[in-house]
Amino acid sequence: MKNISLIIGREYRERVFKKSFLITTIMMPLLMILLGAAPTLIMEFVDSEMRNIWVVDESGVVAPQLHSDEEITFTVKEGDLASVLVASSQDEDNFGVLHIGKNIVTDPNAAHLYTTSSSSLVLEESIANQIEKVIETERLKAYNIENLDEILKDVKAEVHLATTRTDQGDDKASSTAVSSLIGMLLGFILYFFLAIYGSMVMQSVIDEKSSRILEVMVSTVKPFEMLMGKVLGVALVAATQVAVWGALIVLFSAVIIPAILPENILQGVQQVQAGGDIGTLAMQQDVSPEMLTAMSSLLDTGHIALMLGAVLLFFVGGFLLYASLYAAVGASVDQAQDAQQLTIPITIPIIAAFVVIMLIMKDPNSPIVFWCSMIPFTSPIVMVARIPSGIPVWEIIVSLVMLYATFVISMWGAAKIYKVGIFMHGSKPTFKDIWRWLRNG
Amino acid sequence: MNIITASHITKRYSVHTALDDVSVEIPRGSVYGLLGPNGAGKTTLIRTITRILLPDEGEICFDGRPIKQSDIYRIGYMPEERGLYRKMKVGDQALFLARLKGMSRHDALVALKEWFERFGISEWWNKRVDDLSKGMAQKVQFIVTVLHKPELLIFDEPFSGFDPINANILKEEILRLRNEGATVIFSTHNMSSVEEICDHITLINKSKNILSGKVDDIRRAHGGNIFSVQYKGESSLLTERVGAICEILESEPSNTSLSTLKVHIPRNEDIRSVVATINDTVELHQFAETIPSMNDIFIQAVRS
Repeated sequence: MKNISLIIGREYRERVFKKSFLITTIMMPLLMILLGAAPTLIMEFVDSEMRNIWVVDESGVVAPQLHSDEEITFTVKEGDLASVLVASSQDEDNFGVLHIGKNIVTDPNAAHLYTTSSSSLVLEESIANQIEKVIETERLKAYNIENLDEILKDVKAEVHLATTRTDQGDDKASSTAVSSLIGMLLGFILYFFLAIYGSMVMQSVIDEKSSRILEVMVSTVKPFEMLMGKVLGVALVAATQVAVWGALIVLFSAVIIPAILPENILQGVQQVQAGGDIGTLAMQQDVSPEMLTAMSSLLDTGHIALMLGAVLLFFVGGFLLYASLYAAVGASVDQAQDAQQLTIPITIPIIAAFVVIMLIMKDPNSPIVFWCSMIPFTSPIVMVARIPSGIPVWEIIVSLVMLYATFVISMWGAAKIYKVGIFMHGSKPTFKDIWRWLRNG
Repeated sequence: MNIITASHITKRYSVHTALDDVSVEIPRGSVYGLLGPNGAGKTTLIRTITRILLPDEGEICFDGRPIKQSDIYRIGYMPEERGLYRKMKVGDQALFLARLKGMSRHDALVALKEWFERFGISEWWNKRVDDLSKGMAQKVQFIVTVLHKPELLIFDEPFSGFDPINANILKEEILRLRNEGATVIFSTHNMSSVEEICDHITLINKSKNILSGKVDDIRRAHGGNIFSVQYKGESSLLTERVGAICEILESEPSNTSLSTLKVHIPRNEDIRSVVATINDTVELHQFAETIPSMNDIFIQAVRS
């Protein structure tokens, strides 16, 4: 035991007290936030330019109903198209001329935009939309329906489907969009962690083997202690990173979001958490119901902490399972290039799990998703992605038990391969060789 | 008293037998050489003694009783392929390895400081191993091998990779440790070092122990009564007279300096009468028995 703890200590210090660990631990969340905010930021910078468009309307119907907004200003011009075009080309500030034909209501193709520089899809779409609406109203008017304006206003509706889980005791409002998004995100994180930290273990075994320190080590330490110490040491490093991030997320949801959220949403959220009805609260506070559910689940610190706890258990189990397999491969080869072929059977389930979590969006309880969240090799990734959708506790427990049982078996096998493999130098082993080591080890 | 008694050790791998019924007895306080061509099984024998490998058959006794896991703390082992963690600092690494050998942090620090000063490498303490040259790393490796004052030291090819100056330092250190009471086993191809520092040897070839014993006894036993003579005088007359009583192996007459003659004296012939014959015929300058070098014995034993 003393030896294992010495080895764990070395593996842990070796990695955690390195600059790169500090940097990735701090930079990753920042990068995530930046990536999340990127589309909004980009939209902010694009299309902020104001465009002046002169309108020559021969029908006399469209021009009065065109709305100027923060991007386009319409100015109605009298006179024929040719003279307006000439005038427009002399005015540098002018973006172009919109010509509406006389029979625009019956002939929707009679609209034409002349521009002095390249126009954009967004701009054209917005103009076309406005014209379409005008034509629609004009055509409706042609049917001579009484009180048309009121009727039109009256039939407009916007539906928000509020969903409530009734199988979990405290009928909590849930947002399927938010939970499946969180699930996907967690699944991705687990996927990257298993792949990255798993191959970190493999690389470190290969390094020890090629630097020949292993023979010095195994003359005092049993190979099993070496293997166990390494796997647990790296697991501890990964757990440290996850714990730091977990703490950041909890901090974020408990302190930072409430601080920056507008007052009305915050009040709404508090009332939702106190058991209020989302639909009515959204009306009262004048915010969108989607926003309210999303925020209330993000701000439920207790729920998040519980979820992270389950994630950590799956993460550690999955890591131990994959790390033992990666270590066995590392012990079998002399250099990283030789490992590629041998890692294929390990990477296949990881990638399969990655594909399956895409299906969770569609249905978190479909048979393939369910079974993949039970089978130990895919369960760490798939189950973690399912958890935010709210699934029965027994499923989580069964899956965890199977995962840890498989880890014990794989560790036992890996130790046998490791014991033989670390003294094998020279030619690249085949699966047949490894199978023989496993039987004889 | 033997510190290690290995009896009838057999170790098989899937395709070949690395050790076939090998027995060795290593006396306490000796410097014991394991000789043999590449692939003969020396490293496998060492690995069974250090319990890295368990033999398929046979038994290893340490201090007269079967070896057990805790005995490895009394052994210091430096493998042929030297290895250190490349990215660790020298001092941290030495401390880590010393603690794995059961030393306390404090004892290890004190002992390390002493050794680093002895080798004049104290300023390397905070260097990373991959900044050291190969020879420097070997010194560090040597220190961590002997640091915990093991009773039994095992070096696999200790002189490979050392320049002559450092090889000499190493040789002196090995003898010094022997004088302090340690038993030293080392495997080597370097036959001159065997003659210089080994008391006992075992020659392993093709997985078998083909020759064991004290170095002096072995050389004498392989001597075969060959003598070399240096003289001044009539060489044809001498070869004629001496040739009558023993076998002439080599004759190099010289007019300017001493002539030499190499003879094999049969067991039944009295050496004194041969000397008398030579003395009567020519002016005798030297008469000496030729003891074969370990190199000759090695080659002869492996070939036969």
